[in-house]
Amino acid sequence: MFQLTATPSSALADEPVAIRATGLPPSKVVTLQASLKDEKGNLFQSRAFYRANKAGEIDLEQDPALGGDYVGVHSMGLFWSMKPTVAFQRLLKRDVMNSPFCITLDLYDSVCFKDSATVPPRVSQMVQRWFSGPGVQRKQIREGRVRGALFLPPGEGPFPGIIDLFGNIGGLVEFRASLLASSGFAVLALAYFAYEDLPEKLLEVDLEYFEEAASFLLSHPKIQRPGIGVISVSKGAEIGLAMACYLKQVVATVCINGCNMVVEVPLRYRDLVVPPILPALEYSQVHMSGAVSLQRCFGELLNKSNHQSVLPVEKAEGKILFIVGENDECIHSRAFAERAMDQLRSHGRSTGRMLAYPGAGHLIEPPYAPLCFWSWQHKLACPVVWGGDPVAHASTQEHVWGEIQKFFRQHLVKTTNKL
Amino acid sequence: MAQLTAAPLSALVDEPVHIRATGLTPSQLVCLRASLSDEKGNLFYSQAYYKASDTGEVDLEKDPSLGGDFVGVHPMGLFWSLKPETPLKRLMKRDVMNSPFQIQLKLCDPDVPITNRDSSTLTASLTLERWYVAPGVTRIEVKEGRLRGALFLPPGDNHFPGVIDLFGSGGGLIEFRAGLLASRGFATLALAYWGYDDLPRQLREVDIEYFEEAVNFLLRHPKVLGPGVGILSICKGAEIGLSMAINLKQISATVLINGPNFVISNPHVYRGEVSQPTPYSIELISSNALGFVAFHRVYEQTGDVDSQYFFPIEKAQGHFLFIVGEEDKNINSKCYAQQAIEQLRRNGKENWTLLSYPGAGHLIEPPYSPLCYASRIPYVHPNILWGGDVIPHAAAQEHSWKEIQKFLREHLISTRTSQL
Repeated sequence: MFQLTATPSSALADEPVAIRATGLPPSKVVTLQASLKDEKGNLFQSRAFYRANKAGEIDLEQDPALGGDYVGVHSMGLFWSMKPTVAFQRLLKRDVMNSPFCITLDLYDSVCFKDSATVPPRVSQMVQRWFSGPGVQRKQIREGRVRGALFLPPGEGPFPGIIDLFGNIGGLVEFRASLLASSGFAVLALAYFAYEDLPEKLLEVDLEYFEEAASFLLSHPKIQRPGIGVISVSKGAEIGLAMACYLKQVVATVCINGCNMVVEVPLRYRDLVVPPILPALEYSQVHMSGAVSLQRCFGELLNKSNHQSVLPVEKAEGKILFIVGENDECIHSRAFAERAMDQLRSHGRSTGRMLAYPGAGHLIEPPYAPLCFWSWQHKLACPVVWGGDPVAHASTQEHVWGEIQKFFRQHLVKTTNKL
Repeated sequence: MAQLTAAPLSALVDEPVHIRATGLTPSQLVCLRASLSDEKGNLFYSQAYYKASDTGEVDLEKDPSLGGDFVGVHPMGLFWSLKPETPLKRLMKRDVMNSPFQIQLKLCDPDVPITNRDSSTLTASLTLERWYVAPGVTRIEVKEGRLRGALFLPPGDNHFPGVIDLFGSGGGLIEFRAGLLASRGFATLALAYWGYDDLPRQLREVDIEYFEEAVNFLLRHPKVLGPGVGILSICKGAEIGLSMAINLKQISATVLINGPNFVISNPHVYRGEVSQPTPYSIELISSNALGFVAFHRVYEQTGDVDSQYFFPIEKAQGHFLFIVGEEDKNINSKCYAQQAIEQLRRNGKENWTLLSYPGAGHLIEPPYSPLCYASRIPYVHPNILWGGDVIPHAAAQEHSWKEIQKFLREHLISTRTSQL
């Protein structure tokens, strides 16, 4: 009697799942397949081949996959190795409050490697992956110019406040904010272009907008004072770093794979206008898949002395954590983070820390998120390579998530208000 | 006024083209784009970025590409780095006699490919023709006895060394390499063996007597030089080529590109003797980050190590040229060539040459063919990884094509009757 268990079958997306199969023919090689349909109906799948032991069991926490989308012992491999059936699609949960991602786990009693199996699975199990925990509240924010969604943990608070910034994807991306809120932080997912009545295109970074958002957060009764944190990735990380430099209320900033310079569009703050540096598109490289790697376009910027575009990190009063994926194919993350760290050191500042992860790509997300190696970027005519080696990227996501929360707890939570 | 020149405008696909741009401003950054539409309307693109000289010129024979599909000085880079707009499409010419591939070259501003701006200040463009047959090459449909294929004959009244051209992949009749080889002076039989005309729709067994018929057909032909013929074969074709070389005395020269030295999938049969296929472990396939599937580990426990499965290559009388792409992700080519060569050595034989190319993948084709990194094979798999790094793969294609011709000439033409 084939049996498949996945525990817990309903959990937050950043929680691990223990998958076991029993009742298999001894030593039989079987296929475990995970499938998910996103909110637009796009299919994502992964599969791995395991050999049952003499007792007819498979335990993903101990047994190695022999082949498929990953090899070796990776208990969450079926989750992070899922790939879109249509090239260049990115998995991204939009509605984070009302529905989970539903993943179907299928067990086939033979090696099935074609996309449409010719035999039905022997047993299946459904797993729900939620992006907000019980009691987390979401509030749509339209205060002054500020547009976004505020996620509050259950309880009275006050909670440490964090602003969550994504990059050139634009619009409002909420899943990371809601997950962080599920761990006890009050998180404002902040949009800054291509959302509601915000500008359709990002033509400049108006730091006063982000200052308004920081002030809004600090004025909220459930949010701790006097300082807030920022978690930011890609273009968002450049903005996050600028916030750290110029806004006193920002006391802890996580910058994931960002530049330490103002890039593409100018940065404005009150009287200050920082001119951007433009990526040199002639250094782009076309990857095997036809997608484009922009890493060298930005890398070239490091060779020129563009002091006027460099963000003055030495002015930051709060702490900065740079997270670097060394296989980032979008920007030369490590080089930019190292420049920022050098700049801090040369000014006698010890406010920065860098965590560099070999094999990790650009889109470092919460644990178990599938590696998005390449995808369409709406600004560009061709898909963009983000990079990353699947196994290293997955372990990076797990490690980073813990480090981010540790960092925020250390620098945002007052000792009298322990979480 | 910016201008684009290329010479020759019309040529065989294995001939290089000299591309230049003139009339640019000094140090101007430009993008050169190549595009091609295959016979089914699938689009293929490549691009490279150049900086003009002080005199406003770009010469692809001297100037390095700064980025795009390749970096560095590669005069033919725009050809071999062409990529399909729809992933996993493979570029393959079907009608080799009546039409060339047309490649459009365009000069444009550097940001155009990425931002897809409609307007460009640069407008120079030209169209190149790339042919798979030289003028005067004739194609004869072959439908004799069981044989199905196409015989390509060089122009002229001479006798030409005969070669049988065998592909693997998805069956059918693939003619482009045979057409090209005929253009270089060989009477080449592109031979189908399944999935074509009234041949079996699926390959059930490899009947070496069918291939023996092909050898005899070729040797009977009035324009074919004897007394032996050659084989040019890749992948499954190379598995069959090796089996032919062992069993058929008239095989004088066999080119084996990325093939196994044991039976794969279907039994080989020759005059009642059956060689069974080698057991494999399909669970050892693996997907890379893009979801393309590598099959090269499936014989890890059998064909990779156990000589009980190996073809008795020492019984072959002709010469072998092994061509190996070391980044082959479809089969463990390097290992199999080494095993075969080791077996020849142990039997005191020296009738072999090995060309092993670091960075080259599975689909080593004639020069300037775009690297096909992954594609689909109907009924087998939707996305098979062939492997290869684009620059060394291109170099391997250029080098091996010359070596293949040299090898075939050396062993098919005896000095007394040398015609070419």
